[in-house]
Amino acid sequence: MKRLALPLAALTLAAPAQADITVGFAIAQSGWMEAYDTPAATAAQIRIDEINAAGGLLGEQIRVITADTRTDRAEAARAGLELVDDGAQMLVVSCDYDFGAPAALVAEGEGMNSFFLCAEDIKAGVQGVGPNSFSSSVLAAVQGATMAEWSYARRDARTAYVLEDTFIEYNKGICTGFDWMFPRLDGAQIVGRDTFVNDDASIASQITRIRALPEEPDVIMLCSVMPGAAAAVRQIRAAGINSLILNGSAVDGSYWLGATPGLSGFVVPVQGSIYGDDPRPEVEAFNAAYEGRTGSRPASQYAYPGYVLIDLWARAVEAAGTVDGAAVTAQLEAMTDAPTTFGPRSFSDALHHQNTALMQIIEITDGTPARVDEWRISEPVPMSVLIAQ
Amino acid sequence: MSLQLVFDALSLGGIYAIAALGIALIFGVMKLVNFAHGQFIAFAVFALIVPSANAVATLGIGALPAPLLITLVLAIGAGLAVLAERLVFRPLRDASPVSLMVASFALGVMLQNLLLVTYGGRPKAVSLWAGLGAPVPVLTAQVPLLQLIVIGAVAAILAGLALMLKRTRIGLEMRAAAEDFGMARLLGVKANVVISGAFALSGALAAVVALVLVAQTGVADVRMGGQIMLVAFIATVVGGMGSLPGAVAAGLLIGAASALLQAFLPPEARPFRDAFLYGLVILVLLARPQGLFAPAGAKPRV
Repeated sequence: MKRLALPLAALTLAAPAQADITVGFAIAQSGWMEAYDTPAATAAQIRIDEINAAGGLLGEQIRVITADTRTDRAEAARAGLELVDDGAQMLVVSCDYDFGAPAALVAEGEGMNSFFLCAEDIKAGVQGVGPNSFSSSVLAAVQGATMAEWSYARRDARTAYVLEDTFIEYNKGICTGFDWMFPRLDGAQIVGRDTFVNDDASIASQITRIRALPEEPDVIMLCSVMPGAAAAVRQIRAAGINSLILNGSAVDGSYWLGATPGLSGFVVPVQGSIYGDDPRPEVEAFNAAYEGRTGSRPASQYAYPGYVLIDLWARAVEAAGTVDGAAVTAQLEAMTDAPTTFGPRSFSDALHHQNTALMQIIEITDGTPARVDEWRISEPVPMSVLIAQ
Repeated sequence: MSLQLVFDALSLGGIYAIAALGIALIFGVMKLVNFAHGQFIAFAVFALIVPSANAVATLGIGALPAPLLITLVLAIGAGLAVLAERLVFRPLRDASPVSLMVASFALGVMLQNLLLVTYGGRPKAVSLWAGLGAPVPVLTAQVPLLQLIVIGAVAAILAGLALMLKRTRIGLEMRAAAEDFGMARLLGVKANVVISGAFALSGALAAVVALVLVAQTGVADVRMGGQIMLVAFIATVVGGMGSLPGAVAAGLLIGAASALLQAFLPPEARPFRDAFLYGLVILVLLARPQGLFAPAGAKPRV
């Protein structure tokens, strides 16, 4: 088949009849990462379909080609190369930095733009992959800082305990943001901290330490992801500790709540609410469109960055008049509080991420999640904090 | 505080001991390090829920009354292990230990992917016996009921196994097979019966670990079991390959050391707890390369 395709490809090159714009998706279609990549990729496809229906990009239709990374770093690099060979002009890569970077580096080598589906690590951009790589999601440190300032202002949190899961960089990022913001607030104090590992069979020792505190802390900043986060919450509540538990966006979704029946006092910041109670009608319109396409509503907020990334990239392409990486990057870096369905987004030549964002606050009460508030941190997380993490 | 720590250490060590026993049993009779043991654990966990890739899990076996649930899950663990022996390891019985080990890796990867295909990659909530996490006052400590149950169950399992090995015919045959498999066969021990028996026991022990893990964490994840398998394997090495009491003792020791390190390391060093733990393992192995309780057969003859 490949041999047959070669002369055909030569033919199409000679005749520029096929003038589509091609976006390549180097994402996990198998392996454990698939559960995280598919929702965001579906959301990206929804935005692409909207753009195509409205006349396309630069007057041309956007064509999507996909290669499976199989949740494997080596396969991710191969998938990136395959898509570039097949004519991709921009690469959308796996959600996580570690699994997306190999393909993003291929794009960078070709002078093309790459977007991570939902990476929240500063390395997924100028600092790691290179000058043409972006993520539309919100940095982990911003999520931690948002939890610190919101719980201080709205729940009178004055004492905090930090429990960090050392499994991945994302967890460290949440804790870094919390550690930066919370002690800055007048009268607020971090009274203790501890670490655990995501797949620890038990965190009994860590709980013993919390219980040994003279007073139960107002909040516990849990910097963790599934499945360790659900396990930690279950064990903390089972031990009779009733502090408000805060976490990052990564644990959004109700699929894990069965692990702690009747859970209350658990709060996460998200980019938009999947629970049908977001005050912005366009968010609910997206949820409905997503349900129309897949048969079910998004399982967590991580579908949203996929929609936003295509939205922002397409706008920058229209402004630049080309899909050339450097030209589009210049347009993206000029964006300051560009409105999107899920809140304003900004990029600069120093940062291809969000160091501040309007976040919706989701609180779980009696096992039911609901949006209770929204919050934007009073100042962006400084670069020194982001780099130091 | 100190009594609390004893319970924390014993319960974590108990889980590791049961897992290590599962590995040591099979190693004893056929010199196979079964790296699929972690996936046996994950399989037993997922057996509790109805197969589906939906984000929200529906309990199947997990919704049954406890006695029936425990029996069924143990049977599933044992059945899976026996099936693995019959289909994978029996045809390879005369292969080298390295081939066997590679086969067990392959089996593990296959089982994990089977779970991925059936249940999807997202962790699932399985709230099994949520009340067991509630703390119970014991002297000066507040001990979760589950910890007491784990410690009790470990003691019961060890006692039961010791009785079986010492007092029953299959136990005698297993010990004989572990000592010198060739000689045992010459003396009329049926290899298939002994090996199947060891696999069944090992699988049931994997199911015990699975139940404890689920009750503790409330989560089912395709990657779970991997960390415990690693610790258990290290415990069998530290305990002396082939020694059942050694595996149990080393499992307890590693769990206790892990809990103690977590409690007493300064905060800056705590993220590196496992590095300290495995550093200790290396020290032990430097001092006793054959392990703490090496069986006579493991020592070089020359």
